[in-house]
Amino acid sequence: MIVFWIVAALMTAAACLAVILPFLRPQASLETGHDVEVYRDQLAEIDRDLARRAISPAEADEAKAEIGRRILRAAENRPGGTERADSSLTRIAATLAILLVPVLGLGGYLYLGSPAIPDQALAARLDANPSTNSVEELIARAERHLVENPQDGRGWDVLAPIYLRVGRAEDAVIAFRNTISLNGPNAAREAGLGDALFQLAGNVVTAESREAFERALGLDGANPKARFFLALALAQQGDTESAAGRWRALFDDLPQDSPWRGTIVQALERVHGAPAPQPGSGPSAEEIEAAADMTQEDRAAMIEGMVAQLAERMRDNPDDVAGWQRLIRSYSVLGRADDARAALQSGVEGLGAESSAAQELIGFAAGLGIALPESR
Amino acid sequence: MTVEIGHLALVLAFALAVVQATVPMLGARLGDARLMAMAAPTAMAGFALVTLSFCSLVAAYVTSDFSVANVWQNSHSLKPMLYKVTGTWGNHEGSMLLWVLILVLFGALVAMFSSNLPATLRANVIAVQGWIGAAFLLFILATSNPFVRLDPAPIEGRDLNPILQDIGLAVHPPLLYLGYVGFSISFSFAVAALIEGRIDAAWARWVRPWVLAAWVFLTGGIAMGSYWAYYELGWGGFWFWDPVENASFMPWLAGTALLHSALVMERRSALKIWTVLLAVLTFSLSLLGTFLVRSGVLTSVHAFATDPARGVFILIILGIFIGGALTLFALRASELKAGGIFQPISREGALVLNNLFLSTATATVLIGTLYPLVIEALTGDKISVGAPFFNLTFGLLMVPLLVIVPFGPLLAWKRGDLSAVSQRLFAALGIGLAIALVSLVFIDRVSVFAALGCGLAAWLIAGSVTDLAFKSGYPKVGAAVAIRRLMGLPGAAFGTVFAHAGLGVTLLGLVSVTALEVEKFVTMKPGETLDVAGLVLNFDGMMPLRGANFVEDQARFSIAGADGKSLGEIVSAKRVYTARRMPTTEAGIRTFGFSQLYVSVGDPTEDGGIVVRVWWKPNVTLIWLGAVVMMVGGVFSLADRRLRIGAPAARRRQSERPA
Repeated sequence: MIVFWIVAALMTAAACLAVILPFLRPQASLETGHDVEVYRDQLAEIDRDLARRAISPAEADEAKAEIGRRILRAAENRPGGTERADSSLTRIAATLAILLVPVLGLGGYLYLGSPAIPDQALAARLDANPSTNSVEELIARAERHLVENPQDGRGWDVLAPIYLRVGRAEDAVIAFRNTISLNGPNAAREAGLGDALFQLAGNVVTAESREAFERALGLDGANPKARFFLALALAQQGDTESAAGRWRALFDDLPQDSPWRGTIVQALERVHGAPAPQPGSGPSAEEIEAAADMTQEDRAAMIEGMVAQLAERMRDNPDDVAGWQRLIRSYSVLGRADDARAALQSGVEGLGAESSAAQELIGFAAGLGIALPESR
Repeated sequence: MTVEIGHLALVLAFALAVVQATVPMLGARLGDARLMAMAAPTAMAGFALVTLSFCSLVAAYVTSDFSVANVWQNSHSLKPMLYKVTGTWGNHEGSMLLWVLILVLFGALVAMFSSNLPATLRANVIAVQGWIGAAFLLFILATSNPFVRLDPAPIEGRDLNPILQDIGLAVHPPLLYLGYVGFSISFSFAVAALIEGRIDAAWARWVRPWVLAAWVFLTGGIAMGSYWAYYELGWGGFWFWDPVENASFMPWLAGTALLHSALVMERRSALKIWTVLLAVLTFSLSLLGTFLVRSGVLTSVHAFATDPARGVFILIILGIFIGGALTLFALRASELKAGGIFQPISREGALVLNNLFLSTATATVLIGTLYPLVIEALTGDKISVGAPFFNLTFGLLMVPLLVIVPFGPLLAWKRGDLSAVSQRLFAALGIGLAIALVSLVFIDRVSVFAALGCGLAAWLIAGSVTDLAFKSGYPKVGAAVAIRRLMGLPGAAFGTVFAHAGLGVTLLGLVSVTALEVEKFVTMKPGETLDVAGLVLNFDGMMPLRGANFVEDQARFSIAGADGKSLGEIVSAKRVYTARRMPTTEAGIRTFGFSQLYVSVGDPTEDGGIVVRVWWKPNVTLIWLGAVVMMVGGVFSLADRRLRIGAPAARRRQSERPA
């Protein structure tokens, strides 16, 4: 920063110097009659041409006569003595000019510039201590390394899932293909490729994506990702029944701590018409996993308990639209239409009957086929 | 820190430009030598500051400093180094900075080499130059600042438009800007002369080399742009009468007229008022071109970003400078003294005729360019004034001009002898007619147009050579003496010959390609062959390849002569630039003599083939080589720094004093 301001001050001083310069030098005299000088040069030129025999003497005489005529004309036009300048006006103009440079220059810069932002050359940023790098910078660092060593299979293997996680599906596809060709196929890589192709196609299991999952399954029949997505492919083709069946089978095969269980619960919920629970507002992952291990009755009991808990909470926070929606949806999924209607009524009252939030809630309930008990 | 120093330098340059624009002018008014003396140091310091600013922007591009918004928008860390550097001006902000850099460069050059100018004229010229500089620096700082920062900085840039990732970007814009902006000097001189109310011998002596230099650069810039479009856009055209092309062509036409009228003014002190007007108009057309290209009025590869604020700003600059200069002209032109008189049949007369044709042609192009824009603005209808309009109007104007070109240099100043000149041109006329006949009989029996065009081109070239022969006294003195005299001829004589002959060369290329081009549009599978103009093209197959920041599918063809002899390979490619997901077609071009084989691949077909367009373009390179010849002529003329008097030759005696 200090260095910058010193340089800035020097630059401004140099710019001012350019303005003051004429006042530091002895005053040059005002010359006039440049025409005559040019013509004099021309006369000399004719003499030179004549000496080189480039023109004949007759032509030279004629050209000289022409120049002579022009010199006479120029001499007539020459202005008389120039006025001496008003020295006070000169001083004012010069002072204003010298003031203008730092005021407009530095002032303008302070208004437009960002002196606090340092240069950020990419190479320097990437060479900095990795712990200070952002995820993006770490990725860029790995990319740079891979541009120089495109045959580094391990690098691609590490980078590919990271691309997938930060949503760079296209780069993930390339990275998975590279790691497969360099390190050979395994279930995780093929499934990752399938996932990347799925994301690239806008969350659709395309034929290309399905083939990748099938290859993964061929390498490891238990690969949960491949099994999940192949079921999803069925669901996306409209065969939700088989899809749900496969998901349930996968659910049962998975160990308790598998993160796939939550995903499956959400997927099942989605194919059965109910939107997936909002992150952070629905049951926690542990609860879902716990639910997965229970018998049908236990599970139902647990869900009932959770719904009761939610109903309790809504009584204390009646202005939470999302909460009311969740409660109404839960009752509706459980088949308790009366409770759903009651919850709708409580919600509308809690939110204020005429409020837009209440109207929103009524519209939401109508989507589930739930209406208020009496017409208003 | 370097980025911010560049930013500060730019703002300081603006402040200096304001001083440069005002104080010397006041000094000239008051007759104060010290205030006038401020002009040169401020101009030079301004140039140093803008150079510093430009270099710091280049440095940001080279180091991929994505904390600079302009770098982030137009660069990519994986781009080859050349394109990182050229990418600096491959965008709106950077190209405006280059524009101003060249402007202040010219300002500094005037300041440096003008010590023999009258003090008041010098002060006024540099001050007017300062006005232009201040206006455009303000434009950059207010609407197009390349030093806007991003915090936090993105990790990767958005890459440069792939079409611009080419060596052409290193050459075309700087040349074109040297041309455009070079005309600002003659503009400044004209406005300064109008402010002073008088024009003297020094004026013309000063203006002509600047016009000549600007003209040489603009010629190169236009030719380079044309060749770039030809090989990069992948459909083999070299001139589309696109408004952006016209925007550069109009200053060229007006500048060519200015070049010739300045000649008359320098030698004969005639055409003063007209020359001043042309000087104003030429730079006005350059500004109009800048406005059309930069305002977003037109959509093209040149319109990097469309922002109404920029358009309005440039329109205001345009209005002030063109309107102001023309008003000044209307007020002061009558005070300028008209110069020497001449007869209609004379060198001056020929040059006046040249000016009439060129200015009419400029007006034609201007109408064809602006008419659709005006119609769209008024009625909302989009109409297109395409090649047919220009070929008919512009072409019709050019033919008589080209016919009279060889006469000009052979006519004497003040009073010429048309019949004597015609006699001298008999040989050239014979050659022209013979060539026309030969091309009609042996090359193409159908097209009379092509035959006449070839004849006209031959007439231009032969006429130029005739001029040179007579200037070295060829028929009268022996060949040996003539050659010795030829060596002694001044540069300007060669300049005229080369410039005019270059015109003929370009014309020959245009006519050949237009009349004799062969085009094939086929689907080819690997192993298939195609006959084009006596060559056999064999499709060897597709090959995927990976570049620094693109992937491409190369289609490779081997070429063989009719006798089966292999003539090498030609490669065309479909390229996709990864950062912008933008596909481009890379044409494959092979040159045989002056002609070219041009291959451009299209999309693959379902049965495993690929769409291929092949052109045989006879003598196509002559179009651009002709421009190079014209430039060489300009350089010859520029190198000739003699003082020119243009005294008339006495009657009944032929002048040997070279023109």
